Amino acid sequence: MIKDIAAFGNAGILSFIQALNVNGIVSGTAKTFSKFSIMARIFSKFSTIAETFSRFSTEGKIGILGITCIVLMAVFAPVITMYPPQKITGDSLEAPGPGHILGTDDLGMDIWSQICYGARMSLTIGLAVAFTAGFGGGALGILAGYMGGYIDQGLMRVIDVTMALPSFPLLIVISAFLGPSILNVIFILVLFSWAKPARIARSQTLLLKKNNYIIAARNYGAKPFYLLWRHIFPEVMPVLLVLIIGISSHAIIAEAGLAFLGLGDPTSKSWGMMLNHATGFRSIYFTPYWQWWLLPPLFMLIFLLLCLAFISRDMERILDPKLKIKKGF
Amino acid sequence: MVKDRNSFIFRLSLTLFVILAINFFLPRMMPGDPFSTTSADEAGEEIIVMTEEQRLYYINYYGLDRPLHEQFLVYIKNLMTGDLGRSIYYKMPVSDVIMLHLPWTMLIVVGATVISTISGVVLGTLSAMNRKKGSDKIMMTGMIAFAEIPSFLLGLILLLIFSVHLRLFPLAGAITPFANYTGPAEQAWDILYHAFLPVVTLSLAQLTDVYLLTRNTLITVTTKDYIRTARAKGLGEKTVWTRHALRNALLPVVTRTGFMIGIMMGGVVLVESVFSYPGIGMTLRSAVVGRDYPLIQGILLVIAVSILICNLLVDKIYGKLDPRVVI
Repeated sequence: MIKDIAAFGNAGILSFIQALNVNGIVSGTAKTFSKFSIMARIFSKFSTIAETFSRFSTEGKIGILGITCIVLMAVFAPVITMYPPQKITGDSLEAPGPGHILGTDDLGMDIWSQICYGARMSLTIGLAVAFTAGFGGGALGILAGYMGGYIDQGLMRVIDVTMALPSFPLLIVISAFLGPSILNVIFILVLFSWAKPARIARSQTLLLKKNNYIIAARNYGAKPFYLLWRHIFPEVMPVLLVLIIGISSHAIIAEAGLAFLGLGDPTSKSWGMMLNHATGFRSIYFTPYWQWWLLPPLFMLIFLLLCLAFISRDMERILDPKLKIKKGF
Repeated sequence: MVKDRNSFIFRLSLTLFVILAINFFLPRMMPGDPFSTTSADEAGEEIIVMTEEQRLYYINYYGLDRPLHEQFLVYIKNLMTGDLGRSIYYKMPVSDVIMLHLPWTMLIVVGATVISTISGVVLGTLSAMNRKKGSDKIMMTGMIAFAEIPSFLLGLILLLIFSVHLRLFPLAGAITPFANYTGPAEQAWDILYHAFLPVVTLSLAQLTDVYLLTRNTLITVTTKDYIRTARAKGLGEKTVWTRHALRNALLPVVTRTGFMIGIMMGGVVLVESVFSYPGIGMTLRSAVVGRDYPLIQGILLVIAVSILICNLLVDKIYGKLDPRVVI
């Protein structure tokens, strides 16, 4: 009987058996089914992923597929390109053709390779900034909201000022002074984007703190760390995830903007850098070169940003229709 | 409420102070000092072009050996008297360089603010009036997708379509070079002709915010009792929408407009670079390329201060428009 159910992947009953197993009640009998339980767990993981995917609207699905394509492009860049991005492999400004799929730039470097390797740059910066700022800021916000008092007050003042600072002009100035490098760009972007997740995590924590189950847990002697980790963090997490997508698209825009101004890392070819090189070329607008030099990075950037926007909008809707997270930049 | 206003002004001054502090400390955090030049051949190798005594003399002359807080006070004092230092590239005071370019930026930012506010309100009203119909849905989806494209990429697209491909608009600049105008009307036309694409880019980037805000506020407002009263009185649909609904829905739009100028001042740097428009954004780009530090700092200060002033103005105007705010 149990075996049948396990084979059909009924995760609920299986987890019940596992719980019994942990308690050592049916350890002998359940062990024989452990192989099934692993398979069932994998199956249930897949089905939850599939279920989550099906909850997205058409736009959201397009967004997810688009992002997956770009991620695959970035990961398998060496496989799907024929030339290294920084090497001169052809004549300068070759039109798209069989040798170079998207043509070459003024130095004779392959543009398709630059696009693929540039995806790595945009994604790395977007993800690094979003996760550091999202979780770092979120953790600060949760802590401040939980502890309250002067720490909370102080953090709120810092958040107020950070959010009032004109971020993009400051970004330009700071990166002009610190010098162009990927780490500096990430560092500066984190500095300007942690405030929002911190603020929202704080307000969520303040609301959650008053809930009866948390008060009950505390009265049973739960330590602050346990409370924050087991009860508050999982509740704040979905909101943080939506914010993280927002921050990553913001970071990608900011990196492209900085690179477009000539403040990116000169040794790496990001999409913004390509735009900078192309628009910096003297007669780009009087020649047909812009068609294969300027358009691909422009198109890719817009595509990536639209995909991210679709996903974040959909996630907002799925998580809580009443919850309104203002998009801000 | 009074306490709230005080904290608002306190926050603004604190923000200004932080910007000033960043501006002041950034160059001082850099390795080296203005009197030693680094060689480009090898990183870290310094060539001292003066003797040690000369160097110390100049450091003393410029007050760089005094304690930091004294230097900071001197810096603030200079700022108060409008002294922003000298531009390395232009060889003239930074304030003069900024004054030369600021009017162009003001032109496109103000133009874009006006255009995006008006068209956003009109479109938002249309959308709210046709709510639950297909046209509203299409408009909304389009607008939302549009809002995700950052202004400089939008500008590049517009430039490629209208200037490069169709050749309708100029590629760069704010006026036709070496033009002999027959009268002020022709000159004004030329300026508008050049400003058109940058203004459209900036307003398109801001349009969605105003549109969504107007639409959503209108939809909330139209469920209120006084709208039903107005309809029951026998007022025409048009009067109800314009006199009763729109008037009350415009309040948040005013606030939004103020913040919009702030966001635009940030985005204008990139948009001006795209169109090679000679405002302060373009100047900032060339200053960054040429590592003209005093100019970079001056421009940052001007942008930051104008954003803060806008926020302050919004606060004042809002109080005037909505008497409930100030008790």
